[in-house]
Amino acid sequence: MLWIPLAIIGAAVLFFVILYNGLVAKKNQVSNVFGTIDALLKKRYDLIPNLVATVKQYMQHEHDTLTEIADLRARGVAGNLPDADKVQLENRLSRMLGGILVAVENYPQLKADENFRQLQGSLNEVEEQISAARRAYNAAVTDYNNALEMFPTNVVASMLNYQRRALFEIPPAERQNVNVGKLFQS
Amino acid sequence: MKTPAELEQFYQTGLQPELQSLERQRQAAVRRMIVVGLVLVPLAAGGGLLLAAATRSPLPLVFLAGAAVIVAAAVMRACCRDYVRQFKATVIDRLVRFVDENLRYDPAGRLDEATFIGCQIFQQHPDRYQGEDLVAGRVGATDMAFSEVHAEYKTTTHDSKGRPQTHWHTIFRGVLFWADFNKDFQGRTVVLPDTAERWFGRFGQMLQSWNIGRGELVKLEDPEFERLFAVYADDQVEARYILSTSLMKRIVDFRRKTEREISLSFIGARVYVALPGHRDLFEPRLLSSVAAFEPVRQYFEDLHLLTGIVEDLHLNLRIWSKEEVAGTPAALHSQGTDRTPRPPGD
Repeated sequence: MLWIPLAIIGAAVLFFVILYNGLVAKKNQVSNVFGTIDALLKKRYDLIPNLVATVKQYMQHEHDTLTEIADLRARGVAGNLPDADKVQLENRLSRMLGGILVAVENYPQLKADENFRQLQGSLNEVEEQISAARRAYNAAVTDYNNALEMFPTNVVASMLNYQRRALFEIPPAERQNVNVGKLFQS
Repeated sequence: MKTPAELEQFYQTGLQPELQSLERQRQAAVRRMIVVGLVLVPLAAGGGLLLAAATRSPLPLVFLAGAAVIVAAAVMRACCRDYVRQFKATVIDRLVRFVDENLRYDPAGRLDEATFIGCQIFQQHPDRYQGEDLVAGRVGATDMAFSEVHAEYKTTTHDSKGRPQTHWHTIFRGVLFWADFNKDFQGRTVVLPDTAERWFGRFGQMLQSWNIGRGELVKLEDPEFERLFAVYADDQVEARYILSTSLMKRIVDFRRKTEREISLSFIGARVYVALPGHRDLFEPRLLSSVAAFEPVRQYFEDLHLLTGIVEDLHLNLRIWSKEEVAGTPAALHSQGTDRTPRPPGD
């Protein structure tokens, strides 16, 4: 008769272990994807000097924008930025780059340049990959936050003192469509 | 893509003469069939009745009736074989070139078994694999090919007397399509129809995440897409890179257009689409006029739907770093396709 309570305890422990492992896996997935975002951002940093050099000779009017891009890159690569600032910098960089790629329409010579076309392809690709990584990050964070708040995993989570993570969000100001004209007026 | 007006014009000028001669062939074939029928039926009936009278049982009649049906079907097929072949070689071939100059049609060709297995939409290897009506070539900047495919697996059971009986089960019957995808990727991503989530909601999603051998379940943001499809992939970020928000919308729209439970997979620089369906694609009419416009319109619509996948999924948009495949359009007999063997003397 002794085996009945033992079996029940055993089942409870097993259940707890499954929940615990699941929670840890979700937490690590969040860090994993965050790491991927970092790697992709670095890939973008690597492309920027080449872009600025290629484009500078053609785009006389966008000199200021190009300088800002180079500055943003320097600050990003230097590191040591708090998370919120880093996100803001990256968002601004995305917008600036997007603006340049749109302005290229005014420079047919540049558009035809083979070197530039390849660069543009790579930039588009890395931007989309960053966007994909952000989506994956949000999915991982949502999964993790759900596990933190839903029964029965919330019991385990409170035992371990796990905290909610924040989603990648674009602040309302930056969500407005980029006005390319304004971008180049400065 | 061609407009209905252009199709009408093509029908009038490009197809009509061929269709008229085919119509004559069809009528001759039908006449042959009727003659054979008129000879066979009394013969079978007479013979059956005689034997039934002699042996005083209805069995010979039933047997002869069955034999007559089988013989009739074989004869009908023989009568029409030339007609069907002629039809496909002229009408369908021209229609395919009309849809796009860079496409080629092979009535006996099909996507080969390696392609079927390689697309990884289906988890079983077929024991029997058939196909026909291969169309291959290039639409815009994208290589593509598709054909009808019928893949089956068999199970063997033993009946009460211990004799083995083979049962055939369909793995897939319909059209398999592939196209060169416009982004580079390394792993595999599979998009399957989502029956579990539609029926069981969140619990269904939990069941799906246990689906082994398929890679990780990827939960995407588009609610309409999530309701219709379940996505499995090797890499979460790459799956989202491939399935951008705009591509997800396009897949949902295409699914609505075809009204079929389509599946997709992204493997080895290609996108594969499986469209299940029983209707034979390019079979000519037998019992009514083949020269009418209506069947031509139907063939065109089928072709348009399938070749249009390239446009529907925006595959000609090449703004990323994947190199365009330069050179000649995908040849019909290059890798990935083969011809079904024809009997000698054909």
